[in-house]
Amino acid sequence: MDKRVSAIRTFYLSLFFIVLYIPVLSVILYSFNKSPSTAQWTGFTLDWYRDLFRDRVIVESLKISVQVAVLTSILSAILGTATSIVSMYVTRKMEKTIRGIMLLPLLVPEVALGISLLIFFTALKLPFGILTLVLSHSLFCVPYVYIMVQLRLKEINKSIFEAAKDLGATRGQIIRTIILPLVTPSIITSSLLALAISLDDVIISTYMSGPTSTTLPVHIFSMMRVGVTPKINALCTLILVGTFFIVGLSQLFNKKVL
Amino acid sequence: MSKKTLRKTITALLAAILIVALVGCSGSKDAGQVNLMTWGGDFIPREIIDEFEKETGIKVNYKEVTSNEDMQSLLEANPDQYDLAVVTDYMVDILRQNGMLEKLDKSKLKNIANINPVYQGNYYDQNNEYSIPYAISTSFLLVNPEGVAEKGAKPITGYADMWQEELKDSIVVVDWSVEIMGIALKALGYEYNETDPEKVAQAKEKLFALSDNIVRFETNTPEDSLVNGEAVIGFMYSNQAVKGQAADSKLEPVFPVEGMPIFIDGFVMSKDAPNKDNTYKFLDFIMRPEIAARIAEITNFTTPNKAAEEFLSDEFKNNPMLNIPDEVAENTSFYINVADVLEEYEHIYTEFKMQ
Amino acid sequence: MKAKAKSLKKNAPAIPILVWIGFLVGVPLIFVVVLSFLSRDNLGNIVFKFSLDNYKRMFDPIYLRVFANSFLLAILTGFITLIIGYPVAYFTTRLKAKKRSFVTALIVLPFWVSSLLRTYGWVILLGKTGLINNVLVGLNIIDQPLNMMYKFSTTLIGTAYMLIPFMIIAVYNSVDKLDRSLLEASYDLGAGKWKTFFNITLPLTIPGISGGFTLVFIPSLGMFFVSDLLGGGRTVFLGNLINTQVTRGRNRPLAAAFSVGMIVLVVLVLLIYNRVTKNKGRELF
Repeated sequence: MDKRVSAIRTFYLSLFFIVLYIPVLSVILYSFNKSPSTAQWTGFTLDWYRDLFRDRVIVESLKISVQVAVLTSILSAILGTATSIVSMYVTRKMEKTIRGIMLLPLLVPEVALGISLLIFFTALKLPFGILTLVLSHSLFCVPYVYIMVQLRLKEINKSIFEAAKDLGATRGQIIRTIILPLVTPSIITSSLLALAISLDDVIISTYMSGPTSTTLPVHIFSMMRVGVTPKINALCTLILVGTFFIVGLSQLFNKKVL
Repeated sequence: MSKKTLRKTITALLAAILIVALVGCSGSKDAGQVNLMTWGGDFIPREIIDEFEKETGIKVNYKEVTSNEDMQSLLEANPDQYDLAVVTDYMVDILRQNGMLEKLDKSKLKNIANINPVYQGNYYDQNNEYSIPYAISTSFLLVNPEGVAEKGAKPITGYADMWQEELKDSIVVVDWSVEIMGIALKALGYEYNETDPEKVAQAKEKLFALSDNIVRFETNTPEDSLVNGEAVIGFMYSNQAVKGQAADSKLEPVFPVEGMPIFIDGFVMSKDAPNKDNTYKFLDFIMRPEIAARIAEITNFTTPNKAAEEFLSDEFKNNPMLNIPDEVAENTSFYINVADVLEEYEHIYTEFKMQ
Repeated sequence: MKAKAKSLKKNAPAIPILVWIGFLVGVPLIFVVVLSFLSRDNLGNIVFKFSLDNYKRMFDPIYLRVFANSFLLAILTGFITLIIGYPVAYFTTRLKAKKRSFVTALIVLPFWVSSLLRTYGWVILLGKTGLINNVLVGLNIIDQPLNMMYKFSTTLIGTAYMLIPFMIIAVYNSVDKLDRSLLEASYDLGAGKWKTFFNITLPLTIPGISGGFTLVFIPSLGMFFVSDLLGGGRTVFLGNLINTQVTRGRNRPLAAAFSVGMIVLVVLVLLIYNRVTKNKGRELF
């Protein structure tokens, strides 16, 4: 590659990541703030980290959030990919219908969706908790997986399928050996996205959780009323450090990557 | 590890997580529980709940929500999943009229005598059958007197002073149509909950004249704007004002001469509560004088528990924001749910915000 | 007859998925639409009488302005995330494999920090006594702190920041699979870098752009806490309006009408887009 273009590329990406991470760094910085509010900086302290480890409620809500997020991510990945692949084999008209229906969950405002699902799931006598949370979260995560996988799928050279069919491959074989490997990067990135979206959801989680399943973002949001203490900053810092660690480790162990 | 075995291990792992997750979510029912629903942010302090759990072995499931109306939705959808909720007075009124509440069996609440009668028998629960007051708060002005003087404005004594031209972009207010309309109504000498269209129209006009002075609408931490100098006057709730003054001692409360709103957040029990006995135990625990005193000190709300007064610190008792003086208390009134005018208020408020 | 049976057989595998999503979303959607034609009594309970009142109230100049605000915010967010995000995605695909996955992870990582906290991060940065002002005043570059908060642009920055990863990943998925040989051919035929980009790369990545735009536009319409925290409530957006009507206003039918309005707005935008690109054979994504 051109040396100059390479320099521009490095410059632009670096600049972008600096701006992307500055608010994150502020969050980390203020986890050491003596004052409980963001209005002033009154000194350096590790107290909030200490408080964090004593706080059973935060740990409990984090556990629930992670459980829901992981399950949602898996469910969305499966459903989204399946829908994407299926829409390759159906009629044109059906493909359009699927596309439309896939977008539907994103269109409805969360409050409206939350309250309607509350009433709907109550009528179905579903137990409110992890089940309803995962169901509702998957509802708006599946479209993301679908869209991302579709993008990848559309770009695949159709002649590959022709060739495979000519060589006698069944539909199942084509899916397993050609399609899936090619869309795996999309599945992974969109699953990560789904994970993050689920971890972050507030409104729907408020209505979909039962008496014992307050999720972390709901906990944080309801804390806003009296001011989010730096305890939450400490939590987010630890989460960030933890995920960085995991990403770093996987980089070391992963020779063949995306 | 070959790719195939890797994939198999991952699938097995995922399956395991799935099973554990779905199985592991059935709650433990040994010593009993209480399903509580209310505001978050230590509204009912964690240490108090921990103490209750330790003393009785009953687990308290504390579900946090962000509005009274959320609690209404959840309660109406699943009344048999929640025992107790702490809602603001107007919501007690609504829930009571909707038949969602259990009439409290006073014989099971020996500490109920501790509650100050002034906070009982009000409009929303006149026969005092359905609710127990938990926290009292008011709204008033928190002022930075130096800042006000620097702007060249006269000292603040009431709502009327907020309209001074010198106070451009200097006021932070809580984000609620009813409160903001309340300011305008009081400034005109009217009462809250005004339904007369003529008076409401006047309030609208008066209100719009104020829009230049408002720098920010913020319900959660308005005191921050006073602490960091964005604003010199704030209209906020008493617990927020207390926090503001604690962060910056220059800030002072001003109880508007025209009058203030008062809020009583109280416990209500669901008619279909699954753990009624445990709930009574919890309520009785909260009403113990020492417990109520500690709750007040932690949450910065006025306590409705008269017997708690001897356990309150002098600092608390001498703070007029927390220990409301009688003359001030007499000048307070409730916001009552007036549905027919609420929409007009919201409409005016939306227009006001976009001025 | 034969054709119909054939297409039915073809479409069979899609049915379970359609039922699943259709049911889970369809039912709430129908509920919302039905609710928008009802009204509520003094206690906030639903009154089952058909009425167009909510829609009449929705076509009020003030509420229409709220729709316009949100629409503007969403479109601008879409463009900003596109302009800033496209190069990021493009450059990332050009990186060597190992660096690429690292960079991708870096893009998604901030998401794992609560979006509320990241918005507070911006408050810390842009506030009157925030980091930026402290630094600038401290270094004597300015003597009065800059007033950056509580404006439309502040909310825009926050919203774009929150949604840019979606745009980047959508474009990335599209650019990544770009056939390099096409670019080679273009260069061989004598076209410069920019010409190749505008004539080949850009058109071929339009699906990614539209996908990204969709995934950014729609959530922007529903945002509420970003405008509360960064906008100070000085501008009212649809998300605020709907939330307020459900909670403070205790008027779910009206909120339902606004929700329907929002859905119709989005569907219109998507339909117009589809119509515009119909001839080019490139629909939404």
